[in-house]
Amino acid sequence: MQEADLHDLSDDPDYAASQQQALGRSLYRSDSAKSTEMDSGGGGGSETVYVKDNVAIHPTQYASERISGRLLLVKRDSSLFMTWIPYKLSVGGTDSTGRSSNAGILEKDRKLYTIKDVPLADVHSIRRHTPTLGWQYIIVVLSSGLAFPPLYFYNGGVREFLATLKQHVFIVRSADDANVFLANDFQDPLQKSLSSLELPRVVSVANGATLHGSVGALSSVENSERRNGDMQIATSSSEYSGRNKHKLHDPARDISIQVLEKFSLVTKFARETTSHLFRENHNNDSSIHERKQLDHKPSSASTDTQKISSAPVAPDPLEFDKLPLIWGKQRQQPLDVKEWVCFLDAEGRITDSKALRKRIFYGGVEHSIRKEVWKFLLGYHPYDSTYAEREYLASVKKSEYEIIKSQWQSISPAQARRFTKFRERKGLIEKDVVRTDRSISFYDGDDNPNVAVLHDILLTYSFYNFDLGYCQGMSDLLSPIFYVMEDESESFWCFVELMERLGPNFNRDQSGMHSQLFALLKLVELLDTPLHNYFSKTECLNYFFCFRWLLIQFKREFEYEEVMRLWEVLWTHYLSEHLHLYICVAILKRYRQKIMGEEMDFDTLLKFINELSGRIRLGDILRDAEALCVCAGENGDACIPPGTPPSLPLETASLYPQQDQDDI
Amino acid sequence: MATMGNNNINAKLVLLGDMGAGKSSLVLRFVKGQFLEFQESTIGAAFFSQTLAVNDATVKFEIWDTAGQERYHSLAPMYYRGAAAAIIVYDITSTDSFARAKKWVLELQKQGNPNMVTALAGNKADLEDKRKVTAEEARAYAEENDLFFMETSAKTAINVNDIFYEIARKLPRAQPAQNPTGMVLADRQAERTRTSACCS
Repeated sequence: MQEADLHDLSDDPDYAASQQQALGRSLYRSDSAKSTEMDSGGGGGSETVYVKDNVAIHPTQYASERISGRLLLVKRDSSLFMTWIPYKLSVGGTDSTGRSSNAGILEKDRKLYTIKDVPLADVHSIRRHTPTLGWQYIIVVLSSGLAFPPLYFYNGGVREFLATLKQHVFIVRSADDANVFLANDFQDPLQKSLSSLELPRVVSVANGATLHGSVGALSSVENSERRNGDMQIATSSSEYSGRNKHKLHDPARDISIQVLEKFSLVTKFARETTSHLFRENHNNDSSIHERKQLDHKPSSASTDTQKISSAPVAPDPLEFDKLPLIWGKQRQQPLDVKEWVCFLDAEGRITDSKALRKRIFYGGVEHSIRKEVWKFLLGYHPYDSTYAEREYLASVKKSEYEIIKSQWQSISPAQARRFTKFRERKGLIEKDVVRTDRSISFYDGDDNPNVAVLHDILLTYSFYNFDLGYCQGMSDLLSPIFYVMEDESESFWCFVELMERLGPNFNRDQSGMHSQLFALLKLVELLDTPLHNYFSKTECLNYFFCFRWLLIQFKREFEYEEVMRLWEVLWTHYLSEHLHLYICVAILKRYRQKIMGEEMDFDTLLKFINELSGRIRLGDILRDAEALCVCAGENGDACIPPGTPPSLPLETASLYPQQDQDDI
Repeated sequence: MATMGNNNINAKLVLLGDMGAGKSSLVLRFVKGQFLEFQESTIGAAFFSQTLAVNDATVKFEIWDTAGQERYHSLAPMYYRGAAAAIIVYDITSTDSFARAKKWVLELQKQGNPNMVTALAGNKADLEDKRKVTAEEARAYAEENDLFFMETSAKTAINVNDIFYEIARKLPRAQPAQNPTGMVLADRQAERTRTSACCS
């Protein structure tokens, strides 16, 4: 296997960052002699064989937020390396099309995506997409199963890129898919043997080999085993925390570090599972269900590390799945009024909002006090407000609401005839409110006044936030709020608060959705690599099958009462603002065996996911999600791009960038 | 694409059209024989399948039902890409929905598979007293654009099975089974010959 050289090109704007990265990587290199020689060589013997400008990645999979850069193939010592470096923001701040780079993309995000000197020997396959519509792109998949985000060739040239590759490395078109090119270096026996084992099951070993591929040539299976043994040391907990520290300073993620972290994550899972079980055991209030798990868990957990690191044959990653996933805390009873008043001081302030949020996170709220509690969770009432202040706020906000509402109420029929946008917008809302939750008694029957209130609130909101307007899905988000509040003005303001966070879900460019789908991809990659690989193989990495889950916060997936329970738990932001993403992962993990076992393709998967509606057990999923969130820790945070809903937007200048289309 | 093995054809079909035109209702009527007065809006997309027997062949429709609002337009190519058939739905009581249907026709002509079987469905035909789009106008437009046209009512079930059946009949039959590219269709003459051959 080729020597991984750590040189940066002279025109590399991120030289400093890469130096730091190189430092991180060298921790795991054993034959440092060679690398030192190369490092001091000052780039001697390297030849750039391919340069392509305006190759971009879409962090949110949307062109408007693309990061443009330069793609290079560099040959060094008869090995080929691929590098993609984003352009420096300061250099004009524009890309080829003259669009200014999105200021929302922070420098560190750009670095996050930088691809540094990846040896082609580590590349498993390159999938090309040359759609008739839109830009050509490639997806590079490493032997480890990691896939880089699509590289969009804004000026075309995917064919040329592949042609250049062909001149330097051995690539063959996949027999299964004409758009997939397998990269194989048949001079390397290990690489050869790995490539002949093209099963997702061998990913773990492939990971190990890839890690050490940069170290030097591996010539035998024994060697491979020994090196896998090395890895076990590398994944000890002290290494783990050390790396984390490193990453805090440099969010650019070295591929090998990332792989190592994933392994340590698995061991961390195992460790925490065991310790948790001990805790549960001592507390002895665990359910029968959990006791049953006790019988299996410790044994399988304790063997995990060995399985990963020393098995000469590829361990089946599905093994991990046999661990019952539930080990989040036991859910509690909902917060009742007696307990609630204890959180309030004499004047009505909530003194310990964190304790309150924690309490609600683990049990939710009794319906009778939702009306009061939700206003805090949604941010409509400040936690430190008094009864008197809240009463005053309600009256002020009520008149404010009436003023906004009067803006559309005062539009006469004659005016409306000349106001297409208003008519159309009103039409959309009318079409949707009559088909929102009509099976709930609160909204059923002909001429139900509550349906009319939904209409008025949504139309008023579309005037309050004219740029965003009305979008399908909003009525789903409003319905439970009005059901709880039973007051038009209060519901409106609570909805406004919710939309402060979820508004980007409805952006025209889908940016809010795409950042969540992208984060979900990264989280599944982190928390369930085999499933990620499966989705990659079946071209399901766009995660559109989770679109409905994310857009309306699982509103269509659970019974009405459960939706309210779930939402109040999500709104606590207790463990993470993005618990909903961990819920997605938890659900996918629950059904992964079915998904992979039945080899679902995108169509089948979407149908399957849609049909899960009403069949997901909320309590179990919340506990799974909690556990996943805790275990992922800051690695999980790092998967989620800044500003991903429901985080508050990064900048407030233009919340809803408008392109004038015939949309309304 | 429609792919064929023996006399069994799998055909991907996509429903496009303005929100509230009745796309989901048409599918629900066709697939489950049901109708809901207040069919909830489609978020993202939904997928259904239903098999029809046409002569001695069976056509399994893999149906993509999409969200209608303009704002979700950017997702549509994902669903119509590779489709063998499309039903563009409008609401006969709404001229706006008919205008939107025309836009979909244009888009499919530009971006879709040139051999796609495209149907235009004027839905809510039971609401005669609220009609804004005449059948003549729609039929003339359909003929100009090489679509086949039917007025349907998901509520009364009029023409619902018929439109799917008609699509099934029009699907090209001449493809070899499991053709991975699936784009090259035989000309009509060859199609007819082979169809009759397999029916004889």
